[in-house]
Amino acid sequence: MWDGTISFSLVAIPVRLVKAVKPGRITFRTLHRADYSPLARRMFCPEHEQIVPPDEIIRGYELAPGRYLPVTDEELESVSPERSRTIEIIDFIDLDEVDPVYFDHPYYLAPLKGGEKAYRLLAEVMRRTNKAGLAKFVMVEREYLVAVVSMEGALAMITLHYSEEVLPDNGIAPKEAKLEAVEKKRMERSIRNMTAEFDPAKYADLRREKVVDLLNLKMKEQAPVEAPVLEEEEGEGPADLVAALEEIMREVKNKP
Amino acid sequence: MSRTAIEIGGKRLSLSNLEKELYPSCGFTKANLLEYYGQMSGSILPHLKNRALTLKRYPDGVEQEYFFEKRCPVHHPAWVQTAEVSRGSKQMTVCLANNTATLLWVENLASLELHVPLARAASPETPDAMVFDLDPGEGADILDCGRVALVLRELFSRLRLTGYPKTSGQKGLHVFVPLNRPETTFDDTKQFSKAVAIIMQKNYPDLVTAKMAKEQRRGRVFINWSQNDASKTMVCVYSLRAREKPYVSFPLEWKELELAVKGGNPARLHITHAEALGRIKAAGDLFREVLVKKQKLPHL
Repeated sequence: MWDGTISFSLVAIPVRLVKAVKPGRITFRTLHRADYSPLARRMFCPEHEQIVPPDEIIRGYELAPGRYLPVTDEELESVSPERSRTIEIIDFIDLDEVDPVYFDHPYYLAPLKGGEKAYRLLAEVMRRTNKAGLAKFVMVEREYLVAVVSMEGALAMITLHYSEEVLPDNGIAPKEAKLEAVEKKRMERSIRNMTAEFDPAKYADLRREKVVDLLNLKMKEQAPVEAPVLEEEEGEGPADLVAALEEIMREVKNKP
Repeated sequence: MSRTAIEIGGKRLSLSNLEKELYPSCGFTKANLLEYYGQMSGSILPHLKNRALTLKRYPDGVEQEYFFEKRCPVHHPAWVQTAEVSRGSKQMTVCLANNTATLLWVENLASLELHVPLARAASPETPDAMVFDLDPGEGADILDCGRVALVLRELFSRLRLTGYPKTSGQKGLHVFVPLNRPETTFDDTKQFSKAVAIIMQKNYPDLVTAKMAKEQRRGRVFINWSQNDASKTMVCVYSLRAREKPYVSFPLEWKELELAVKGGNPARLHITHAEALGRIKAAGDLFREVLVKKQKLPHL
């Protein structure tokens, strides 16, 4: 995981990046129905009707269907940002100003040795002032715009979408129509009646739960199927040939 | 664009861009390329003859993009011989490099590398040789391939088979076992070579793997038995390779391979175009037996 420092003006806080979410989706392997071998993806060339080995695969930018501009890994590397060890805060902003549509992926920032005091100070002050630090940050050859935020005494970092990634919402909101005062009142009352504290634990991913139940039930009812062990080892060849080869191998190896 | 017209055996050919550097680091030009294949034609043509030719073309030299061409380019001269082959459900027309003029015509297309199947176009399911493609993984080298080849030689001799090694022209070796019998199929050669590869792996687990996976190949030689397939091609003996220098896929004598392995001298196993031409002049086609020697796979 990434280690580095949060810095601004004269402050430098050593931190480690820690995952804050783990997608809860249950994933499945694809298997060959015939023998339950797990399947692999391969790149296929429809023109030559054959699997293309990795050393024959290059990248092309599609200019139009069937017209490409080949781009090499070296060229892409030459425009990648330098690796960096700092989360350099450029501005502090009001957290409320950030439209949630910009939030992408959250991480926790864990304090490293020697930075605990400054870490707590920054977390506490940002919490009280409801501010977030806006920073640039390089991870795995990509530069991210991130918000450093305070989260219950801890610091967290949320990667943000760049503005060109966010699609315009024009045309979504309906044309202005006159709203009746009575109707507005009624709507406000309904909402007030249903208002609760946000408690994410109250809501569960129902499909996930059902899938887990299904898997547990199946596990009780039937034995799992086994993939063949090292398919290449199986069926070494015709028995005569294998025996002859084994015999010869012994001789070859025992030769002085 | 500079053009030069030549005539070979009554066939007219227009050559272009002769001064273009195809191996820029050593100044090897299109003219040098044509000269190499022209001088090599007597030795390489028997190995290309009547086989579906795959061109690996480097129009702007080895440092630039390349592409494979399996179909015979549509604009080919009328005198280029072709064959119809089926790939899967599709038919396609391929070139047969059956004479010097055709060889030079494909070289004028900057086809630095020539690849051919193990079977002839007219009998696509009948390999006339079985091949052991020895490919060193990371941390292994051509001498490790040599060690594996020498064990294969021992093993073959006890099966009354003779194998013929050549360099791949890159980092590996290819050992050809000529068969030249119409009843042998790719199923046979695949089954046989796979059994050999697996038993080699069992007995020399630190040196050999029969598995394609990269992590299995580290420090070991991968015996790629799956090349014994109607849909696969191998770089033709005497073809150049697209590396920093024009190295050749060149036949080796077993003795010479033994010496290189004993002496720990990998450099002897990288043969340049100039050395290749010199050796051909002195010793002729070391791979000619691969085309004529009849051998039967035992225990099948």
